[in-house]
Amino acid sequence: MPVLAETRRVTVRYGALTAVDSVDLTVRSREVVGLLGANGAGKTTLIRLLLGLLRPSSGEALLFSTVPSVSARRRVGYVPQTLGLYADMTVEENWTFTLAAFGARLVSVPSSISDLKDQLVGTLPLGAQRRVAFAVAFSHAPELLVLDEPTSGVGPLGRARLWQDIRQSAEHGAGVLVTTHNMEEAEQCDRLVVLVDGRVGADGTVGDLIADREVAEVRSADWQRAFEILDVEGFVIQMHGDVLRVPSTRRQVEDLLERRGVRATVTTVPANLEEAFVMMVSARSHG
Amino acid sequence: MWAMIVKEFRQLRRDRRTLAMMIVLPVLLLVIFGYAARFNISRISTVVVGPQAEQVAAHLHLPFQVVEIDPDAGSSVAALRLRDGKAVVAVVTGSSPIQFLMDGTQLFAVQTAESALGHMVQTAKANGIRVPPIAVRILYNPRLITSWVLVPGLCGLILVFIGTLITSLGVVRERQAGTLEQLAVTPLRPWDVIAGKIAPYLLVAAVDLVVIVGVGIILFHVPFIGSVATFGLGAALFLLVTLGMGILVSTVSQNQGQAIQLAFMVMLPQILLSGLIFPVSSMAVGVRWIAYVLPLTYFIDISRGVMLKDTPIGALWQPLLWLSVLAVVVLGSAILRFRRDLAPSARVGKAPAATAEQVAA
Amino acid sequence: MTWGLESASVRFGQTTALQDVTVATEPSTVTVVVGGDGAGKSTCLRALVGLVALSAGEARRPPKREIGYVPAVGGLYPDLTVDENLAFSGGAYGRKGAGSYATSSAILERIGLADARSLLGGQLSGGMQRKLALAMALLHEPALLVLDEPTTGIDPVSRFEMWRMISRSAAGGAAVIVSTTYVDEAQRASSVLLLEQGRAIAMGSPFSIIEAIPGKLGVVSSPAQPAGLSWRWGKSWRLWAPSGALPDGVEPLRPGFEDAVVIASMAGQQEVQLDAGTR
Repeated sequence: MPVLAETRRVTVRYGALTAVDSVDLTVRSREVVGLLGANGAGKTTLIRLLLGLLRPSSGEALLFSTVPSVSARRRVGYVPQTLGLYADMTVEENWTFTLAAFGARLVSVPSSISDLKDQLVGTLPLGAQRRVAFAVAFSHAPELLVLDEPTSGVGPLGRARLWQDIRQSAEHGAGVLVTTHNMEEAEQCDRLVVLVDGRVGADGTVGDLIADREVAEVRSADWQRAFEILDVEGFVIQMHGDVLRVPSTRRQVEDLLERRGVRATVTTVPANLEEAFVMMVSARSHG
Repeated sequence: MWAMIVKEFRQLRRDRRTLAMMIVLPVLLLVIFGYAARFNISRISTVVVGPQAEQVAAHLHLPFQVVEIDPDAGSSVAALRLRDGKAVVAVVTGSSPIQFLMDGTQLFAVQTAESALGHMVQTAKANGIRVPPIAVRILYNPRLITSWVLVPGLCGLILVFIGTLITSLGVVRERQAGTLEQLAVTPLRPWDVIAGKIAPYLLVAAVDLVVIVGVGIILFHVPFIGSVATFGLGAALFLLVTLGMGILVSTVSQNQGQAIQLAFMVMLPQILLSGLIFPVSSMAVGVRWIAYVLPLTYFIDISRGVMLKDTPIGALWQPLLWLSVLAVVVLGSAILRFRRDLAPSARVGKAPAATAEQVAA
Repeated sequence: MTWGLESASVRFGQTTALQDVTVATEPSTVTVVVGGDGAGKSTCLRALVGLVALSAGEARRPPKREIGYVPAVGGLYPDLTVDENLAFSGGAYGRKGAGSYATSSAILERIGLADARSLLGGQLSGGMQRKLALAMALLHEPALLVLDEPTTGIDPVSRFEMWRMISRSAAGGAAVIVSTTYVDEAQRASSVLLLEQGRAIAMGSPFSIIEAIPGKLGVVSSPAQPAGLSWRWGKSWRLWAPSGALPDGVEPLRPGFEDAVVIASMAGQQEVQLDAGTR
């Protein structure tokens, strides 16, 4: 599958701060790549690199195998977090404006949003706005889609519908780069690239990321006391109702609770994506 | 490029507020100011005193409008009438020459009076009527210095703008940051919030006023011969009104841009309609009523009276009263509207506000 | 005495933002309100806290001093420093003096903002701002903690830390209610309220919500969208058969919580009847 966007050991420095550190990233046709970051700086900078809005301090960024340029950008559909739509124009007006701006042939509004076409964008609920933004970005048949947090703030059903649109575009041949903060969304991607402090922390499927990480699960009638003890000791606890999950070994947790006189049942369970992510991030910052 | 032009037109067409401002406002302003601006005064309130008061009064015609004839009063009473603003010209008969005392703080009126007097004397002489010797004495601003008359009013004008604008921005900033609503959830009461918001601005504005008046005195040699206490009282009431207006402006503004627009629209009429330049009494009746709801009008009376004429507090009870009324009305409305802002809303509130932030305007 | 809403409705003119919604919170628990944009989550929380007047029903809450509230956007002053923000919050809630300073120092330490004390609110990153707003709400140790989409749009690490603070608060005895669009967060709650267009679609513990979904869930791997109630998941489609009969060739799948929520939302939108337990 052809490579649409690529960075090779790319680094961006702002003075003393290194936003992106020696990052390798590839996006191919027909695949959905998720960019998951521990903090914002790396992801935004990478996108700006690929779009040619920023030059690297070292390494290279390639868009359609060339240095990112205005003509290369014409083949990209980009939806920023702020959607890039005009709230005081209708859907159809936004559509025709974008087509004209990209010099594409004027076609009518697609069926997925045709029932909204005469409404002012500003009056639409967020989920609908995002779908419109996505359709507009796709209007000039781009080969690469770059979506910045496409489903932020949208509920489960809206998210599913948006992902339907995204998948469909990938099936039509586009490559999709998605940035996300959301674990569920990350699970929808074919491949995940995790950025930690500007470096690539992991690159693979969700399964690869979780690998065989495990956490200790604590069930106790006196769960509040258990929480207190574990918290004070510095453990990072994830609470599910009154069940506690701690990224530590069963033995360690059992011993600690026993010493403090708290009766609890401790078992070992596989980590979920978020726990794996946090474990990876903390390992990186201490490594 | 064409696509860009089309887009801009479409957006402008929908922006009713800006369109209204561009078309309606200039017309409105022109009409109002057209009727308000008068250099020539058609009626000059005149008081005649002294033994020949009746005879002399009979000879006086427009622009002199005789409002009082008192044969038993003398020049000191006449001067008082001027000081208290009851009349602009006082004619003192009984000794030679007949004195025409004029209030030097009413620039245009005095100029009109002088020229009208000269014209009257000419006409009489041309008709063969014997005219007794007449002396004109201009009190309180003998050399008719413009800055003496302007500066007291300017202090007020500056404070109107700054006071209204700054207070309104202060509250709108809360609204924009989303913290205004949150205040409603805290144990703070609406009065706590308003008083807390006004207090620092009141202090700063008071210092401001002292500084501007000081500069006026030092730089332009504007006299200050009256009671500082009276001035202080008038200033305090005036500030309460303007700061209250600021809060009111903020309750109808969604963002800082709107607040500035509105504060500006509130200030503009006060330049031309408050008696700062053109006397209120000379404005066409249709627009004169506007002057009476502007706090600056009353502050100008007070500041000019105290600074230039040593008008006592008793003579200024009317402007002080009206300022108090305005203060109560404005602050009261501000508090009520503000309470509505802080109280549980059944209006269409926008939730989540994140929606508004997500779409580029 | 539990706090919450009982049969609450909120109407803004012609629009009904909330319809007959009941939600209860208990001390030492976390209740999560899930829904899409416009579902009524913010309205629900604002009605609970008293920012919005109810058109019908009742809201029960403790006195203002015992409530901690963080709105969806804002909640802090961008032109005050971190310290000054906390000081204002402390003062507004009646906590003054040295005790307040010590508490705020402790809180700042725990949320990792101790080094940023003298930074202006506006200079903080999105995640740090939300954490500060949360700290301001926690300063006076409220009995009821109400958070409106505290984690929307912030990076995963900050989100994780926010949930730590929230968990601590619950473990310390507070009744916590949080609204979110993220279903995986809802899974952590003791009880979940799913809202769709102002109505309660499902209510209960995550487990009971999953159990209450009738019919069967299946997986379809072909790229074409199958007929019926289906939605995309990764490269395949999920298909829900309310009657319980899956078409031939469709593999059955045990529903996870996210599946349950999507199914409930679909049912809610299309007004398909679900079990009594989910109404």
